Amino acid sequence: MIEMKAKIERAIYEASMALDNNNWAGWLSLCDEEFNYKITAFSPEINKDMIYFEHNKGELANLLDMLPKHNTDHSPLFRHTSVYTVDVSESGTEARATSSVVVFQNMLDGVNSHLDSGESRLFLVGRYHDTFTITDGVVKFVTRETRLENRRLDKGSHYPI
Amino acid sequence: MPARNHKQWTANPPLKDGEWINSRIYSDPEIAQEENEKIFKNMWVPVCHESELPAPYDFRTTSIANENIIICRGPDNEVRAFLNVCPHRGMLIERRPSGSFMEGQASGNPKRITCMFHAWQFDMKGNCVYVAREKEGYQDRLCKEQVGLRRLRCEVKFGGFVWINLNDNPSVSLEDWAGEPFECLRKTLDEEPLEVFHYHKAIIDTNYKLWHDTNSEFYHDFMHYHNRVTGFNDAYFARKNEAFDHGHVVVGTFEVNYENYEGFESRADLSFPHLPPNQWYMVDLFPGFNFNLRGSALRCDTVTPLGPDKVLIEFRGLGLKSDSPEDRMTRIKHHNSIWGPFGRNLHEDLIGVAGQGTTMRPDTEPRRILHGRQENQTIHDENGMRHYYEEWGRWMDRSPIAPDMPFSDRDDGSQVVNAE
Repeated sequence: MIEMKAKIERAIYEASMALDNNNWAGWLSLCDEEFNYKITAFSPEINKDMIYFEHNKGELANLLDMLPKHNTDHSPLFRHTSVYTVDVSESGTEARATSSVVVFQNMLDGVNSHLDSGESRLFLVGRYHDTFTITDGVVKFVTRETRLENRRLDKGSHYPI
Repeated sequence: MPARNHKQWTANPPLKDGEWINSRIYSDPEIAQEENEKIFKNMWVPVCHESELPAPYDFRTTSIANENIIICRGPDNEVRAFLNVCPHRGMLIERRPSGSFMEGQASGNPKRITCMFHAWQFDMKGNCVYVAREKEGYQDRLCKEQVGLRRLRCEVKFGGFVWINLNDNPSVSLEDWAGEPFECLRKTLDEEPLEVFHYHKAIIDTNYKLWHDTNSEFYHDFMHYHNRVTGFNDAYFARKNEAFDHGHVVVGTFEVNYENYEGFESRADLSFPHLPPNQWYMVDLFPGFNFNLRGSALRCDTVTPLGPDKVLIEFRGLGLKSDSPEDRMTRIKHHNSIWGPFGRNLHEDLIGVAGQGTTMRPDTEPRRILHGRQENQTIHDENGMRHYYEEWGRWMDRSPIAPDMPFSDRDDGSQVVNAE
């Protein structure tokens, strides 16, 4: 069980590194075919749970393939992830984990590159709520809910968090 | 033409008055301050939606032109607005963005608006109902009946939005001000109650008018891959920018072919009431409020200027209150695909307007900003912005091309600009 928890932690950190590197194919390779991804937040302003983004694996792949055809702020996002809890089912075939995530934006081209490039700004704060399937010792993400504490998102992003 | 020297760069363009403006109106701190006094303190502002305070004693807080405001729903179901300022010593009464006065607070009772500082309490009509140790401190010199809250003009209208005007005697009623531009959507928005499902905000280093410009012109569809692949057909180009009194513009509708874009789907099954399938209307209200209905989801933008080069933009998404959970999810997905903070178009729009803000910071050299496209008032025509700046000039009594000149003298504006 301890070994499986370590594998799950490793999958979460590998996902963070793949996302940091805009390695979308590498990120999606860590995900099950049934993968569902959400970015959510609670708004005290309107007193509602909100979904800011939701895609399945196929939709994500299409979206990420089209990124070069969009005008995007290319400032890299850099995630600081800390795994808080990992719970593996008794059968050993499923697991869930909660991690804290802080996302910095390393300014490149978003506003005034002469002044801003090279600076890191706090972009988002939240938690990853992940579920996994475990088959023959291989861990795959089945769902990820990136639960944000932010509602002020300024320019936003074309990148998954 | 080859690249220009400074004299050529700062020369007036070969366009008529009104077809270009001086970028100083986007960057001058004095003008920004004056806009708050002359425009925003006298304007109907859609501060929130009634679904954000659905039950009696619910409240929301907001601000217009640096004045703090509280909106609450009374036990009679009426929505009222007051300055969020205690008449005692000026404390901000309610600090939360929203909540319910059904719950008592540390300093006050349930069903009361309570200032935490000295426990003065007010009812949902703004009457002061309790002054702590009133007789001991004021004897008979001042009583609670004399220290009610400052009430504000407040109406719920055009699909349930809450509109506030800081001026007790606005120059025009809300209906007369915005009724005509909303006529194309009146039946659609008023057929049944709407509900907000999305809220986020952006603080962008740019002038608020530049955001409204972006919402008022479609020439920037070259910035959006999504628009290029879905929108470029005859019907798209044939849409009209129709100008209305008071500086408003409505962009006419056409049928959007969402299926042409990979990852998108038709919105026909969830069209708003009385709306043909996959239609797209846009209402741009002076000085910075946008209502954008793409078939299945309504978006509303409101601006709050924070200076010449900083603006708060609040984004709301709305569906029908009667939505089933499945329909609501579909609406949210449609909304987010283009307009969400992680959607395709909004990010591009905000990069664009931030880029303009970067070149128009205070103390940058004034430049000529072109609004001169003439295409029979169709969507690549810039008549929407020309119409807007006529209204801006009237409110400010400043010429948009020569901001130190009164608007009434605008015909001579080019001479003054040359003399600067």
